Parts: sequence; structure tokens; C-alpha cells
Amino acid sequence: MATPMVAGWLKFAKEIEGIVLDIAGVLYDSGDGDGVPIPGSIEAVNRLKASGVPVRFCTNATETTRVNLVAKLNRIGFSLEPNEVFPPAPAVCQILKERGLRPHLLVADDCKPDLAGVEQHDPTCVVIGDAAHGFTYDSMNKAFQALMQMEKPLLISMGQGKYYLETDGLKLDCGPFMKALEYACSLEAEIVGKPSKTFFDAVLKDIGISSDKALMIGDDVVSDVGGAQACGMRALLVRTGKYRPTDEKHPTVTPDGVVDNLQQAVELFLSCRDK
Amino acid sequence: MQCSAPSLRMFKSSKVCTVLIDLSGTLHIEDYAIPGAVNALNRLRRKVNVKFVTNTTKESRRVLHERLHSLGFDIEKSEIFTSLSAARSYVDTHKIRPLLMLEKEAMEDFEGVGTSDPNAVVIGLAPSCFNYSKMNEAFRMLLDGSTLIGIHKARYLKKKDGLYLGPGPFVHALEYATGTQAVVLGKPEKAFFLEALQEFSCPPDQAVMIGDDVIDDVGGAQKCGMLGILVQTGKYRSKDESKIQPAPHLTCPDFPASVDYIIDNLL
Repeated sequence: MATPMVAGWLKFAKEIEGIVLDIAGVLYDSGDGDGVPIPGSIEAVNRLKASGVPVRFCTNATETTRVNLVAKLNRIGFSLEPNEVFPPAPAVCQILKERGLRPHLLVADDCKPDLAGVEQHDPTCVVIGDAAHGFTYDSMNKAFQALMQMEKPLLISMGQGKYYLETDGLKLDCGPFMKALEYACSLEAEIVGKPSKTFFDAVLKDIGISSDKALMIGDDVVSDVGGAQACGMRALLVRTGKYRPTDEKHPTVTPDGVVDNLQQAVELFLSCRDK
Repeated sequence: MQCSAPSLRMFKSSKVCTVLIDLSGTLHIEDYAIPGAVNALNRLRRKVNVKFVTNTTKESRRVLHERLHSLGFDIEKSEIFTSLSAARSYVDTHKIRPLLMLEKEAMEDFEGVGTSDPNAVVIGLAPSCFNYSKMNEAFRMLLDGSTLIGIHKARYLKKKDGLYLGPGPFVHALEYATGTQAVVLGKPEKAFFLEALQEFSCPPDQAVMIGDDVIDDVGGAQKCGMLGILVQTGKYRSKDESKIQPAPHLTCPDFPASVDYIIDNLL
């Protein structure tokens, strides 16, 4: 089973003191209803947690609140706690409060409670997330007009993913819509979420380890793998979720390892540590 | 207002035989003809070939023609060359079956084009298509190898009640999502100007472009070897002429002044 790619990353498995997992495409495929667990992922997470290795979940999911995301995952069989899960919205909320910013929101309605308690009149920035069907010409135009009215236009984007896989196919993530607004207003967005370093750092700080002791596992070669590596973490790419074979020949990102799925990653990782 | 004098080194050795003319902002502003423009056009016609070139993604040639005719301009429908015409011609030449992300008014220019089992996405300014489902449909086609064609890539446009997103941001969104680059067809693309001149077999260095957009009209035309004349009507804003290098061949108050200049100096 062990391909040369797999064998390579096992060399450093013993140095790993904490694991950071992406959620959609690694634990489950989202879609209508609660989505579907990826085979073997529920057991893999349970085994990992039972082994005593700290595990955190780092996601750019902004379609709902942290609490609802965890509830949804637990309904399909996972056992996660909200404080193990790091989505961008609570981080954005903190940034808005610290900097005294008033947002115009272009986010999914279900995500809004994580951004509640921040003044929204007379906006001084636009916050964009995965609004999915909330992306219309009208909503994009309102965000654009809000930006053009600002003295210093500021666009905060919860991730910059290009697309993700749902049970009925690939769907555009918030990145393309963020790029549309960047192009329209000739500006560059501030990213909160993967692949931003501050976002990964917050997760590492919570585990209490340095980046060289951490392993990221994700299905997005740029945002998960490239982003984690840029912070000094090791990173594996899974062949589930939005994975496409061309990701293994990415021009700028080379994963430390490629595995078929989370189950295989965890099996190999734990067996190597037991030796 | 005086015409700013063009530098002598920019005068042409060969005579001008074709003049391309922008429509909105140059010949007319909404429902008003620029004063003197109807007569100026008639004077110019007696001396050179003319063609009317415009970036539109929502008005067919028929609609544009009817408007100009009602304002008194002596123009044939066949003399109008738009970014939609360029897209139609691209679709025909490359035997493409497009998914058309266009509003109803623009569909007329694509009559007779086969759209079953599409292998390309053609995007204009189509608010009714810029929703999540349609954008996903286009995105999936592009991942499967379809060509992305932008009728033009304007960032935004100005309407009476404010600024609105143009087609450009949506083309750009799909470019980013798929890691591909769109074929862009309207002004300021070189291919657009060259195709407009094709009918007259006129080399670009014997052609002039007159328009109110310093980048799309004047800059684009000058990049492909034509002379560009900027008129200070329509969307023109003070100091626009300093936004491009080299500067416009000529900046002048309006279309009639540009015609006088051409007749007096370039023929």
C-alpha cells in the first residue's frame, strides 16, 4: 500500500505533536442536508483523538456558524467540540471589534450570528464569505457600491478558495467573487482564514506547539497544503473532496505526502509512531 | 476651447483612408446628438471610409442603428461594428457552440448560432445570469475544457443613479476559479480594431479612431498603430489625456472639431 510518496512523509511522523485537519473534503462532503462522511474519516478522527495527539479542525467554512457546523458534523457521526474548530467568522468578528470597523456583509445568512454584535451602519469595510446562492448581481453590486463609497476601500475575505466539492458537483467558493470585487475596485483583499499565516498561527497557539511540530491534512493543494507549508508546517494532500489528479503536479506547491484519504493518513501515521 | 497641437513627429506620411468612430459619448449622449455631429459626419463621409465601433454587451446592432437614425445620423446598420459583432464573428470563425451569458436584447446578434452541447462560455453584461447557479454551470464547463470568451472586460459603468459592475469582474472571477485566461473581444483589444478595418483593407497606420474613452478608444487604437483622437465629451474627465503614453495624437473639444482637424491635416 505504501507508495514512495507515502513513505517519504513517514520519516517525520515521530516529530509531529499536533494535527490540523481541514473539514470539507477531508471529514465529509457537504451537500444538501448535512452532507456525507467520507468513508473511514469518522473512525480516523476517533483513533487520532484516542491516541492522545492533539487535533484541531481548521476550516474556511462560512456557510454557517461554528456551533451549527459542529452540530451538523456530529449529526452525521463525528464527535467534535466547538472549541476544537477554527472557522474564519469568529476571527473576523474579533478583528472588526479590535479595529473598530463597521462591515457591509456579503455572507450566508446562516453565518451572520458569528458576526453579530458589530455595528453595521455606515460601513467602513466589506466582509465577504461563501454566500453561495446569496451571490447575485444585485448583492455583488451593493458590495461594490459600498466599497466605492468608502474613503479607503477595505475588503476582508473569509478565505480565498476557488471551489469546493459538494455531493452534486464542484461549486464556486468565495475566492472568485472576492477576485471580482478586487478587479472592479482595483484593490487587494485582506484574507482571514486559510492560507493566511495569522489564521494557522492562532490554531498552533491553541495547541501550544511550534509550526515544525504540526501536520496539516487537507484537500486543497494551495490553501491547505501550500498555506500550511508557508507557515513552516508539514502538510499532506488527500485524494478526496475537491482533489484533482493535476493537484499532484501543481507548479508551486509540492505536498510532503499524498494519501488516498484521511483513514490512510491516520493508519500510517499511528503505525509509524507505535514502532 | 482650442485643440491641443499634436507634435509634428506624429504626423503621418501616408494619408488617412478610414476613420473609426465611437458612438455613446462621441456622437451622442443618451438621447441627444452632440451639436454639429450630424453635419460633421456627412462632411467626413465624403472623404474617407467610416465605421462605428462600440463596446456593448446588451444592445444589438439593430437597436443601436435605430437610436442613431432617430437622432438624425445617416448610418447603415452594416457600418456598426460592436463587441457583440466581434463575438459573433469569433464564434462563427472558430465554429464554437456557446453558452450565452447575455441579456435578451443582445441575443439577436447571435441568431442562428448553435448552442446545444456547448463548448464555450460567452459573457456579456448579463445581470440575470450573474447568479450562483449560472456561474457554477459556466465554471464546470470551463473546468471541462470550454473556452471563456469575454465580450469586453469593463470593470464598471456609470448610470444616472450611480456606478454598476460591468462584465469584467465576472469574467475575472471565472478566470481565477479555473486558472485560465479569457479571450477578450471588444475595445481596447488589438484584434477588435483590426477586424473593424478589415473590410476596407486599410492598414492601421492609415486609420484614425475618434472616441471619448482615453484607454479603450484612444490607447487601444494607438497600440495597434492607428492615430487616436480624444474628444472632450461623454465620459471625458479633465486630464484624461495624460493617462496614456504616448499621449493621444490629438485632444479636441468634440466630434465636429475632430472632423475639421482630419479634413484639414490628415487627408
